[in-house]
Amino acid sequence: MTSHQLTTDQLANGQVTTSKVTTGKVTNGQLTTSQSTTDQLTTDQSTTDQPATGQSATDQPPANQLSTHGLDLRYGDRLIVGGLDLVLPGGAVTAVVGPNACGKSTLLRGLTRLLAPAAGTVTLDGSDIHRMPAKALALRMGLLPQQPVTPDAITVEALVRLGRYPHQRLLSPWSEADQQAVEEALRRTGTTGLRDQPVDQLSGGQRQRAWIALALAQDTDLLLLDEPTTFLDLRHQLDVLDLVAALHAEAGRTVVMVLHDLGQAARYADHLVVLKDGQLAAAGAPAEVLDAELVKAVFDVDCRVIPDPETGTPLVIPKGSPLRHTTASD
Amino acid sequence: MNDTTNDAANNAMDGAVGKAVNDTVDDTAKDAVDGAVKDTVNGAVTGTGTGTGTGTVRAKKPLGAVSASTARRPAGRRTPLLALGGVLVLLALVTVSVANGEMPLPPADALKGLFGLGDPGTVLVVQEFRAPRMVAAVVAGTGLAVAGTLLQRLFRNPLASPDVMGVTGGASFGAVVMLAAGASQALIPLAALGGGLLAAVLLGVFAWRAGVSVTRLVLVGLAVQAGLTAAVNFMVVRFPTELAGSALQWTTGSVYGRTWTEVWAAGGAVVVALVVAFLLHRRLAVLDLGDDSAGALGLNTNTARLQVLVTAIVLASLAAALTGPVAFVALAVPHIVRFLAGPPTAGTLALSGLAGAVLLLASDLVAQYLLPVSGLPVGVVTATLGAPWLLVLMIRQSSSVNRSAR
Repeated sequence: MTSHQLTTDQLANGQVTTSKVTTGKVTNGQLTTSQSTTDQLTTDQSTTDQPATGQSATDQPPANQLSTHGLDLRYGDRLIVGGLDLVLPGGAVTAVVGPNACGKSTLLRGLTRLLAPAAGTVTLDGSDIHRMPAKALALRMGLLPQQPVTPDAITVEALVRLGRYPHQRLLSPWSEADQQAVEEALRRTGTTGLRDQPVDQLSGGQRQRAWIALALAQDTDLLLLDEPTTFLDLRHQLDVLDLVAALHAEAGRTVVMVLHDLGQAARYADHLVVLKDGQLAAAGAPAEVLDAELVKAVFDVDCRVIPDPETGTPLVIPKGSPLRHTTASD
Repeated sequence: MNDTTNDAANNAMDGAVGKAVNDTVDDTAKDAVDGAVKDTVNGAVTGTGTGTGTGTVRAKKPLGAVSASTARRPAGRRTPLLALGGVLVLLALVTVSVANGEMPLPPADALKGLFGLGDPGTVLVVQEFRAPRMVAAVVAGTGLAVAGTLLQRLFRNPLASPDVMGVTGGASFGAVVMLAAGASQALIPLAALGGGLLAAVLLGVFAWRAGVSVTRLVLVGLAVQAGLTAAVNFMVVRFPTELAGSALQWTTGSVYGRTWTEVWAAGGAVVVALVVAFLLHRRLAVLDLGDDSAGALGLNTNTARLQVLVTAIVLASLAAALTGPVAFVALAVPHIVRFLAGPPTAGTLALSGLAGAVLLLASDLVAQYLLPVSGLPVGVVTATLGAPWLLVLMIRQSSSVNRSAR
């Protein structure tokens, strides 16, 4: 599923209408110029590797739009994210990219209330998430942390069942709806056959799918994933990203994910957020924001950006000489 | 882990290829050989064609886990069976407990007497002299075992137990202080409860400031326990001789001489705390996912952790108030249950309560009837029974892992 296809699907379904998206944001004195999208349009027809299945999500979902307003996030005295104004469009797949230690994961923690802001607010469709009851927020937003802790010897199904926690009260028994949500989550992630296997004996890719199943069982419209492809080989990276794309296309979920690979981000995201040193470097459609200047400014890498021969989305090709050092790395 | 697997692989390589290779091959080549040898040793690593030694080591890790967990997995379904067995054993022990004593009774009569039926003399002996001690052992065993299970799971630390957290130390401290003050016996369990809670407060004051860091809690707990034990020993040494024996009971744990008043009070409170523990189980399971996942599932992790911690401390303090700091039950039972019944669930939590009752009652019977020395506190028996058993279990567990890995 390519990002461009997704965008057209959504537009056809009238989903991404309310999002106010800032494109080509200017920071650090860098003007991020829009790249021509003609390449993308011409190659669009050739991207038939995945069937477009956006038709099932025709009913109007809530906007599920996260935004930050002057957000400061700190760990102790260290300011990690400073004065961030950001809109993560509802109904879209957003990828957050940036160099190591630029505050991507911290931002995700701030967006999910795991980290209270030092200043500013995070709102979900206009309401401050820090004023919502914890369980009410958990009914709307799920998170896959970067390195989730797998309880000792827990089976896949037992793990996924824990995703139903926000739906349960202190004394409520396990319900039919709970079981259905678990079955659906297992089915979507292709882990039904693994349900009785202990999670700690699965391969990395299977384990990641089991954890995504937990987040799916939570049954939220908004899903945040912190580097879901880290430590996976290419095949499993693509499996996870295709799964995410399918969740968006078939179930109409809003997805925000932190990614490392710019090419993958451009392929799978409708909206790209580029962070540098806790500041917004650029935001917008990948084809519009991702160019050589931006990569040089943010990652300190000389490169060419060419259309991905498969999808037409921007592809970053670093210049020949091995430039490995990045000033912003930790 | 890497080191050990590498060593193991090196040994295997030595056997297969011969010592000569060792010094001649360079590191990378050695790693590659390691990998190849490991593949054949395990006979199961498939396909991925791991090039480097580290890659193979990582691939091997889940493999070891596979065999261990596969051996354990069907055990999860054994929980109801184990519970049934536990109940039967407990009933048998209860029968033995009420039927024996200075005046042995036929088991049937003794059981009838327990429920107030039959000969009034029998009823008196059973209900007034034998039952309180038996019920005290059951209640305290359950409380200690459940407290230990909660703490070990909460802290993800196999050493976490009320003994390590200073709770039982606090309980003995309270009891001994009361004894030194010359207060009546009836007040001593209350003082033990107060002492246990005092230790928990000390723990909170010193460990809570920087949020709830597990390592910090355990370390502070150890310090609190050591300090309180030292205080107890200091007082016992300065006691007059006739009180020293009494103090020994509160420093090693004993169910001797419990009265119904104490048993009902502590037992009722333990039942309430057990209900709370089971209500909290779902939160505990979510806490197992780590703070980020638990928080994203809408759980207030610090509150939930505090709730579980307080419940465990109350359970352990109540148990210690009844019997003194009986050693080892809270530490060993969770491991025993884990070994027999597999990964923790609400069912295994119940099972650990049952196992604690069985262990403490059985130990008390051993202390009363099987040992040549009379008047030995039950805590001595739990430690001498429990320690070797735990060691045997651990040796068997690790050797079964080794066998299946090969």
